[in-house]
Amino acid sequence: MTGIFVPEPVVQVRNLGKVYGPFSDETISRTGSSFGSARDAVTGSIVAAWDISFDVQPGEALGIVGESGSGKSTVLRCIAGDVEATTGDIRLANVDEGKVNILDFDASRRRRLRIDQLSVVYQDPAEGLSLGITAGGNIADPLTAAGWRNYSAIRTRAKELLTRTEVPIDRIDDLVRTFSGGMRQRVQIARALANNPGVILLDEPTTGLDASVASGVLDLIRSLLEELNIAAIVVSHDFRVIEMLTERCLVMHHGRIVENTLTDQLLEDPQHPYSQKLIAAART
Amino acid sequence: MELSSSDTTLLKVQDLNKSFILHNIDGRTIQVLHDLRFSINAGEHVALAGTSGAGKSTLLRILFQTYSTSTGSILFKLASGEWVDLTHLTDSEIVAIRGREIGYVSQFLRAQPRRSVIDLVTRAGISRGLDNNDAREQAQMTLEKLHIGKPLWEVHTSVLSGGEKQRVNIAAGLISPPRLLLLDEPISALDPENRTLALELIQELTLNGVAVLAVFHDLDAIEQVSHRIIAMEKGRIVQEGPTNTLLPLLRKGYINS
Repeated sequence: MTGIFVPEPVVQVRNLGKVYGPFSDETISRTGSSFGSARDAVTGSIVAAWDISFDVQPGEALGIVGESGSGKSTVLRCIAGDVEATTGDIRLANVDEGKVNILDFDASRRRRLRIDQLSVVYQDPAEGLSLGITAGGNIADPLTAAGWRNYSAIRTRAKELLTRTEVPIDRIDDLVRTFSGGMRQRVQIARALANNPGVILLDEPTTGLDASVASGVLDLIRSLLEELNIAAIVVSHDFRVIEMLTERCLVMHHGRIVENTLTDQLLEDPQHPYSQKLIAAART
Repeated sequence: MELSSSDTTLLKVQDLNKSFILHNIDGRTIQVLHDLRFSINAGEHVALAGTSGAGKSTLLRILFQTYSTSTGSILFKLASGEWVDLTHLTDSEIVAIRGREIGYVSQFLRAQPRRSVIDLVTRAGISRGLDNNDAREQAQMTLEKLHIGKPLWEVHTSVLSGGEKQRVNIAAGLISPPRLLLLDEPISALDPENRTLALELIQELTLNGVAVLAVFHDLDAIEQVSHRIIAMEKGRIVQEGPTNTLLPLLRKGYINS
């Protein structure tokens, strides 16, 4: 231990695992990066993620990179509660002072975390928003879930969030379906921030947006993390996204973490053979 | 090349080696730095000299931990007086001391495309512990010193010229400077007049107690700002001494530069 001040983590993930199908120690030892597959050839079980541990500090974004099928979205969805983890321990500093494993919560308590503790911004806005209702309505949703009842207070908060995420206020009563991709993503971010969550999970937040719109959204996310002191976990296969948002990141391959390092060190001096391949491919 | 043990020593590099293992090119290992040993004092400006490929930039990147270390230690004295070995810190500890304790200024400005000039430099100040007002004030002062006038402050950095970008980069690197500053050819794109301004700012650093380790490709800059020269060749330190002793040798080509 040194005297260097590192803030207490907001999220602590330990030995998180997700296996589809029956499994034993043999299944685990027959899968993973060194084995070249997440699928156990004997049982057919898929070890989508295993032995995943990390911390995230307030105001910090941690990146998770890897090719499609590496397990990065599985990790995010296990934390979000969209997917039930097979094993592991996840603690949030703001939930019972980090003394409980949220994976032990029942379904309804787990869902309640999504109102004001853990927000998710999905790649596809249709997953995080109701396209058939207005921008204001989408933001009102988590607010009413958190107990807001006063219409004008909700309206004021919605306007505040839309302003913060640079969505024109005069579009507040328009259906989200009429919004462009970049604007839908901003509304999704506004909704995610509605109840000041401690943690925000970003799953390919700018994939599918054109470059200039994407950089605007990334810039917004970066500013919000700094100003609101939120912890973020960002999953992306796009190194520009990871470089712009994160200082530290994990590389996943066949369901395992193969490298856990500083983002600039990953880009400039990757250590693991798979990381080297991934970085070389991204540069060409 | 014995290590100085004076109270003002800020950085001690011991037996530092760096190899890259290229797993995807038949697993070959390339050793780029060999047994480096040197130290730097607070308020001292040390210039790294040597031909390209000598390992100067590699060394700076290792000290900033953008490259990992293969073997050896990098002892650094924190503001608190505590000595730490940078090669043993956690990633979060490195993130915490970057900017505040150790800074790195490269040749190129790397910024979010939509950041304005003043915002970029102000944020750099805030990240080093200044409050918002002080950061903005110092950002303005630093930019003015580098002749980046008011009309450019609200402009996005992406539209600046090469020389303007480099001066903004220097401003962001030098505002409320960290205790050890690593400079990797920070003035390579500047015209003579702006080069002089930048060098003046760099000179001020050491007067304020900052330790500087710098790579400049022109010898006049080295002569103007450095106290000591470490000459490198093929990843090794080949000579080390006061600038006024070593510079004439560099100029005559007795040591490669």
